[in-house]
Amino acid sequence: MKKKTTFLRLAYPLMITLLTYLPILVVAVYSFNESKLTSTWGGFSLKWYRDLFADEGMFEALLNSLVLALTSSVLAAILATAAALGIKNARLPGKRLLEQASLLPLIIPEIVLGMVFLSFFSLLGLPFGMLTLILAHTAFCVPYIYTQVRARLTVMDHAVVEAARDLGASGWTAFFTVTLPMLAPAILSGMFLSFAMSFDDVIISIFCTGVSVNTLPIRVYTQLKTGVTPEINALCTLMLAVTILCYIAAALLKRKKPRVK
Amino acid sequence: MIKKAKGATLALLPLYLFALVFVVGPLILMLVLSFAPQDGWSYGTGFTWDNYRAVFSASYLNIFATSLKLAVIATLAVIVIGYPFGLCTALLPGKWTRFFVASQMIPYWVNSLLRLYGWIIIFRANGLLDQVLMGVGLTAEPLKLLYTYPAVVVGMIYVLLPFMFTSVYQVAEKLDLSLVEASRDLGAGGVRTFCSVILPMTLPGLKTGVVLTFIPSMGLFFIAQILGGNKTVLVGSLIEELLMKAHNQPGAAALSVILMLMTAVVCVFLLRRAKWQK
Amino acid sequence: MKKLVSILLVVAMLTLTLSLASCSSESSDRTLNLFTWAGMFPDEVIADFEAKTGIEVNYVNFDYDETMLAKLQAANGGDYDLVIADDYIIEVAIAEGLVQKLDTAKLPSLKNVNPLYQGQFYDPTDEYTVPYGAGVQTIVYNPAKINLDIRGYADLWDASLADQVGIISNYRVINGMALKTMGESYNITDTAKIAAAGEKLQSLAPNIRLIKDDNIQDDLLSGEIDAAIMYTSQVTVAKMTNPDLKVVFPEEGIGFGIMAMFIPSQAPDSEAAHEFIEYILDPEVSAKCYEYLGYYCTNAAADALISEEYRSFLTLPTEFSADQMEMIGNITPEADAAHLEAFTAFREACE
Repeated sequence: MKKKTTFLRLAYPLMITLLTYLPILVVAVYSFNESKLTSTWGGFSLKWYRDLFADEGMFEALLNSLVLALTSSVLAAILATAAALGIKNARLPGKRLLEQASLLPLIIPEIVLGMVFLSFFSLLGLPFGMLTLILAHTAFCVPYIYTQVRARLTVMDHAVVEAARDLGASGWTAFFTVTLPMLAPAILSGMFLSFAMSFDDVIISIFCTGVSVNTLPIRVYTQLKTGVTPEINALCTLMLAVTILCYIAAALLKRKKPRVK
Repeated sequence: MIKKAKGATLALLPLYLFALVFVVGPLILMLVLSFAPQDGWSYGTGFTWDNYRAVFSASYLNIFATSLKLAVIATLAVIVIGYPFGLCTALLPGKWTRFFVASQMIPYWVNSLLRLYGWIIIFRANGLLDQVLMGVGLTAEPLKLLYTYPAVVVGMIYVLLPFMFTSVYQVAEKLDLSLVEASRDLGAGGVRTFCSVILPMTLPGLKTGVVLTFIPSMGLFFIAQILGGNKTVLVGSLIEELLMKAHNQPGAAALSVILMLMTAVVCVFLLRRAKWQK
Repeated sequence: MKKLVSILLVVAMLTLTLSLASCSSESSDRTLNLFTWAGMFPDEVIADFEAKTGIEVNYVNFDYDETMLAKLQAANGGDYDLVIADDYIIEVAIAEGLVQKLDTAKLPSLKNVNPLYQGQFYDPTDEYTVPYGAGVQTIVYNPAKINLDIRGYADLWDASLADQVGIISNYRVINGMALKTMGESYNITDTAKIAAAGEKLQSLAPNIRLIKDDNIQDDLLSGEIDAAIMYTSQVTVAKMTNPDLKVVFPEEGIGFGIMAMFIPSQAPDSEAAHEFIEYILDPEVSAKCYEYLGYYCTNAAADALISEEYRSFLTLPTEFSADQMEMIGNITPEADAAHLEAFTAFREACE
């Protein structure tokens, strides 16, 4: 009986996961396509991998994208988590209004947001490059984390924090040993969404970047005039492979360790 | 939650200041722009309602309706598919939970444009889907699914599902299973247990998921471009055309302000019910 | 378990970062900030230029011409050394004082440029720009699937083409197609006539399967559509892959667009930009570039060097005369608004 329900609970997520991976698999398969076109299968080839490794600009763009996505999601996590914890009892004018305002970057169409950021940053006289990119990305990452943390806070057991305090834990100790671990799933979920959005963003990035910083999505989308090359498929496939290998390695390592519980 | 006013103020201050400068600042610029008169390739100084008047012309209203319809369909579909997905994942034994959460994150290494190209290959005439369906004998000829409305909806679900999944999962992970069992022990059926215990406890996650799904779906238009053959005219694509082809920046700003207000109204409604401010 | 996932992400990133450290670029004294779409030059051409001159090329990309203009305005004509963009936006950039005059003494190879592409509306005296590739509006179709001898735009309205036509999402080109069948110019500003062209376009809706800018050649090759109006580079790719496809110069008239190189007014290193232009104008280098790019060759000296298989669609037929061509130029904001309205209504009719 118990087995049967577990199986049912398993079947559904498994099906969704398979569907999620279907287009990814296609991308991976076509990275080995001799032809540049997806409509023709020109035979198996490692040509695009060779091109990829000859293309310094592509790796530079990847590195920029990783730095950008990581920095903005960490910054946004700090800002958003602190604010979500403080909002109720803080004494700042118009804090509720500003809370709503901080969600606005999600609502404004990104093409307009990008344009407005461009004029705003040049109004402030900021040098266009990694700094302006991080500022803009942090602005649109905050809402993802803030909403997650707020949702978690409403279902969280505040009595536990109180108890920790009553037991003599100082504010910071209670925060690091009780509050933070309890909020961790929400913060990490939010960071994952922000990282994904930032890593994938093209429109805002094009407007906010300067001469020296190209990101991966910019490289992909600005090929529209001449057609996207499977070099990008090859790069994405490599990243997938590395991540999956790390995952398997970590799982194996964990299995080897004796369980202490 | 931080109880002392001083600590709470200090905690809120960074985001408060950041949002004041980097969100409210650009927002004011956008508002100013939306009232500026168009002037050739640029915009002039002055004040005009013309841009807003244009938004409320009949053909534009139609486009708002199309966008809203697609956003609602996509959001409903994401709820139906994503909520049980998040819930199931949270309730499974630990190793499976780990597996599914990780497997939702890995695809993000692949650029979204490429993932949509993947769907093109699957959907197109005599593509993967057609070959499977015809191979099994379910259909006799190609379905011609690509560049249709259903293809757009599939694409929207695909892109938006993770927002619902993570929101529901992270709240359901906190679910107290003993309550569920207690409810069962008291003789409540599956449906009743769900309605009286599981749903109320995961509601904040569901609502966050709805907000995070609905908002982007109002603005998303590149899916309709790539999988829908650009035949479904959405507000987002009109804004893009105004900006990038008709070089009418004030018009694009005014359209964005209206879109923003419309989306905000829906969200405030949802958030209020989510009892965030309790 | 969240720890595990985060550790995984970090490990993945570290691995990638480390693999990157090995391929960090050696810096040189001079840099050319080249601002254009991605994929405009073969890698070997850039590498060869870097090797010959010791100037490092920093390739910066934009998506739309309008984005380029906004970035150039924000930089006050500085930051970038060389820009390649479409004709119409260059006219605006020149008018705004964002472009500097070329030093022709440094460009002896300017004589190689095909005069057909010179003296155009965006730079009538050729003081600011050097053309780099031309787009020519053609109709491409698959004669194996279509039982119709397509000669001009009017044929696309034929009822036998129901749900078989794909077009690019550019209202000046598509509305212009309807204008052409009515015997009008691409560049008329009479909003009533543009609206009439919009009406005419609506009756094309049943034949339209898709409207999109990227990879439309794939749809023609995979059989999703059987006739298409697409960008020149896409025509080249399609024709190279399936030589049976037919490319038609529409009898109503041929629309042209030219991409050109220009040096922004405050370019940090205009010297390097001149060197790059001169290098690209070399006939052999040009031939390589156009074969890679798939746009019509604007370098007359390179025409003969373009290989046989490409020649027929990268160079114009010998009997081609300049009065058959019409540039698609800038129009009034009112006319643009009328075009957008007509095109939006057309897209809605296609659904």
